[in-house]
Amino acid sequence: MTDQTGPDELVYTRIFDAPRGLVFRCLIEPEHLTHFWGPAGVSTPLETIKVNPVPGGVFETVMVNDADGSSYPTRAVFIEVSEPERLVWTEPDSGMTTTSTLRELGGSRTEVRIHQTHVPEPFRSAEARAGFATSLDRFAAYLATVA
Amino acid sequence: MTIAAGQLDSTFAALADPTRRAIVARLARGDATVNELAEPFAMSLPGISKHLKVLERCGLISRTRNAQFRPCHLERAALDSAAGWIEENRRIWSERFDKLDQHLRDIQSQSDRKKGDDQHD
Repeated sequence: MTDQTGPDELVYTRIFDAPRGLVFRCLIEPEHLTHFWGPAGVSTPLETIKVNPVPGGVFETVMVNDADGSSYPTRAVFIEVSEPERLVWTEPDSGMTTTSTLRELGGSRTEVRIHQTHVPEPFRSAEARAGFATSLDRFAAYLATVA
Repeated sequence: MTIAAGQLDSTFAALADPTRRAIVARLARGDATVNELAEPFAMSLPGISKHLKVLERCGLISRTRNAQFRPCHLERAALDSAAGWIEENRRIWSERFDKLDQHLRDIQSQSDRKKGDDQHD
């Protein structure tokens, strides 16, 4: 389910039993997104989803907690939309960039790899990135063992 | 989702440096003085002090004001919120993918049924 590549990066992969074209449509069409975008116990009402899948276009959702109705708006802007293999969006508020890469595995199966970088502005230089010795999530796991 | 990603920027920025991560890892085992923290690094005391200031500013560590050696103390809550954000983010994607998996099954079995119906016509 998970692996780490670089230091400041979080990576999630999952294999789906569906053709790549269909999986890609699921990631950009509100009629599909509304079925799965919220995690467990959280809905994403269709009318809150705005997707304009072109570079510079918006990707906005409001996730609503089923239990207490609290809502979590998210706002992102597409950087790249290459159907059916790649989507890149960035969240201007946090600076987090998410790259979704879809790979055909044969037998109508598709691997989706979500790659997120959460690198605060002052640390985006090449030198600073090279200074990351271990990934943040590996670091978190390590701390859990020493604490 | 309880933690706004933006609020964690200073914590992540502080943890972006390998020396500071090593200092935090050391303090996770217990309080330490600046001298003790400087020992494993080929770094001057002022160099270490600079890193400690960054960690102190974002609330990851605190220092006793009065004690002579001012031992550094890891503030677990600040660290937990950073680690918690990572875990939360992982959980969201995992559950989102569980739902997507189910959704893909649903729509594909629907279209299979439709194809079957078409063949009967």
